[in-house]
Amino acid sequence: MVSKAVETPNAGFDFSNYARNEFFGQRLQGIPKATSTGTTIVGVIFGGGDSGEEPGVCLGADTRATGGPIVADKNCEKIHYLTPQIRCCGAGTAADTEFVTNLISSNLELHALSQGRPARVVTAMTMLKQYLFRYQGHVGAHLVLGGVDVTGPQLFTVHAHGSTDKLPYVTMGSGSLAAMAVFESSFKENMKREEAIALVSRAIRSGIFNDLGSGSNVDVAVITKNGTENLRNYEMPNERGLKSRNYKFRRGTTAWTKESIRSLIVSEEIKSTSGAGKDQGGVEVVPVPTGAGAGGEEGMEIDS
Amino acid sequence: MNSVLTQLQPSAPHQNRLEEQDELDRTDAASWGSMAGFGNLDRTGGVQGMSIPRVSDPTSFLDMHTDNMSSNPDAKIKIAHGTTTLAFKFQGGVIVAVDSRATAGSYVASGTVKKVIEINKFLLGTMAGGAADCQYWETYLGMQCRLYELRNKERISVAAASKILSNIVYQYKGMGLSMGTMVCGWDKTGPCIFYVDSDGQRLKGDLFSVGSGSTFAYGVLDQGYRWDLTDEEAQELGRRSIIAAGHRDAYSGNTCNLYHVKENGWDFIGNYDVNELWYEYEGKKKAERESQNAAAAAGASPMAVEP
Amino acid sequence: MENNGGSVVAMIGKDCVAIASDLRLGNQAVGIASNFDKVFPVNDKLYYGLPGLATDVYTLKEHLRFRVNMYRMKEEREITPKTFTHLVSSTLYEKRFGPFFIEPVVAGLPTPTELDPHPKPFISTMDTIGCVTTPKDFAVAGTAADKLYGVAEGLWEPDLEPEDLFETVSQTLLNAVDRDALSGWGAVVHIITHDKVITRTLRARMD
Repeated sequence: MVSKAVETPNAGFDFSNYARNEFFGQRLQGIPKATSTGTTIVGVIFGGGDSGEEPGVCLGADTRATGGPIVADKNCEKIHYLTPQIRCCGAGTAADTEFVTNLISSNLELHALSQGRPARVVTAMTMLKQYLFRYQGHVGAHLVLGGVDVTGPQLFTVHAHGSTDKLPYVTMGSGSLAAMAVFESSFKENMKREEAIALVSRAIRSGIFNDLGSGSNVDVAVITKNGTENLRNYEMPNERGLKSRNYKFRRGTTAWTKESIRSLIVSEEIKSTSGAGKDQGGVEVVPVPTGAGAGGEEGMEIDS
Repeated sequence: MNSVLTQLQPSAPHQNRLEEQDELDRTDAASWGSMAGFGNLDRTGGVQGMSIPRVSDPTSFLDMHTDNMSSNPDAKIKIAHGTTTLAFKFQGGVIVAVDSRATAGSYVASGTVKKVIEINKFLLGTMAGGAADCQYWETYLGMQCRLYELRNKERISVAAASKILSNIVYQYKGMGLSMGTMVCGWDKTGPCIFYVDSDGQRLKGDLFSVGSGSTFAYGVLDQGYRWDLTDEEAQELGRRSIIAAGHRDAYSGNTCNLYHVKENGWDFIGNYDVNELWYEYEGKKKAERESQNAAAAAGASPMAVEP
Repeated sequence: MENNGGSVVAMIGKDCVAIASDLRLGNQAVGIASNFDKVFPVNDKLYYGLPGLATDVYTLKEHLRFRVNMYRMKEEREITPKTFTHLVSSTLYEKRFGPFFIEPVVAGLPTPTELDPHPKPFISTMDTIGCVTTPKDFAVAGTAADKLYGVAEGLWEPDLEPEDLFETVSQTLLNAVDRDALSGWGAVVHIITHDKVITRTLRARMD
């Protein structure tokens, strides 16, 4: 009750800063750019037919996150967990892909619990598209959704405006053209598992090397009805060379004018344990001054 | 502004003329080897040779692609901006002091820019606004001043020199030139300062400060300025003003270049690190406060001891 | 961002983390204050920095103080750096369509627990709408972020002792900030180790 009075009571987005920021947008040099995943993400269906292998889905992603022209993260994770048998690759606004997949993952778990059986991939797809459609593309999540359920392997793409596709091989993101070129030339139906992994990682590599928005490593996830195998950093074709020497500064290089040390050892007691029960002479209690550091002055209150 | 613009925009025949001009420039350049950017000089002695983008509206073309005049801060081409420059006349001549920071957006592109352009032994020009515009036209002004000397067998006055500059920039009015400069020197009339800017404004005066940090420089300058300042006092005032501006203004700082114009031409007094001087001034202020407090305490205590 | 200026950098060392910020508060080109600390403590071994729009620095700081105190009362334990990062992240994402102009940086040493007796030093950073990145080396944000990336990429190395980390983080901040017109005007560095937090004010360029 109390918390409802003080905390924001309703869930969902809070538009309270919107008008202010519109005004700032005019006065300032634009609104700061959000981290985006200028990305290569792909998926293929493999197995079945006369391959003699379990049918499944293989998903792939690069690991570069960008903020404008800056590489914000050199090894981010773009294959998001939805359910044990469903994964989702995200491109577009990084925060949106992260939060949308988290939200749908929660709802799928609740759905599975209430229905008493694992959620199907179409269910995940429908939940995603309905959510994204509601926000008319303002939630900038472009997704490749893949998984295995009772109906077999499933692969979808979901666009930010809510449209979806169902195909045996898909690519998305800024590197989608480079990756699709690989798929179009080399995709076969009923590939073996190892073939599919090799094809997916080749498609991602094509994105990494030919698209400036994509880079670093190859992440792969393989889903069959037996489970999901996460091949994080399956390939690392861009490892940084080691520095042969270092730039360590000599201690004392930086001139400083003020120092405060906040000791986290409040008191130290040393007690000799020989001759138990007797009054011990020379028991020393050493108090250490606290509250000197930045935290001591106006920090959040710490239990005393 | 727009009415002036329409007058200046090249009409169709004008464009043809430009093409002919280009053709002439090319043949000239070939015969001279290099025209070093002053290829327009020999024929007209004027400044008609500067080529203008062949678009219907060169001004808005420039505006679209540069952050000139701060009208388009997102533009890809960032022209160096932000400065504090000052100059003042006093009993001992003219003091010219400038900072040395060049910024492109919020990036400090250089901390060692020479913002005083030595036009000749008796003339200095300061640089604010577009660095290239100032550098080019003030160098060009130096050539014109030398030609004047050769033609008339006497040194050009500061008034005449500054008028050459202001006439040139007025020809380009509204086309994107950006400069705020002080032409300082010593001529027959004594020490002299003219403020010239790219709007075509030309003002004579005793004391000027130009640039994004000028308000801060004026603050220090006005409270310390007198005509009968000694040379040392005047130099210190100029220096102190630049340090104050370098401290407060984000787009000024790094170092201060100080010049003193006297009867026999200008002297370069020195280059000073803004940061080091700031700490020095702060130290002095602190010491002064402490000695005042000590004096106050010493003055108060005998009274208290009085029986 | 460019309204008030300011930058923050955090780095991981050997059993320690460092977080440092400049002290400038500006109004566009004009410097207003040189004592605007952007780094705040959450508890003994967890600090965070909020570079960006000054009004949002205070709003977010108080908002987070409230939510951390609520967490502490409900859970009867201190918040971990990782949990705090997600707290900040969801706070920011709540305002997805009217964001705070802040790019937070979190730095902390997780307290050893029975499940994890040797936790690794932790840093993280977010964009304005709460997209988390948790680097293994360093995190930067603010108007000098571009420059900080460059310097830190060159100077950082693994397993620096607290005193060496202090030099590296200080030099990174100082040199990056000297190339940024909107950051600087003094700097503070916090080095968080298991038995103490060292806070030093640096002698920085004041122009």
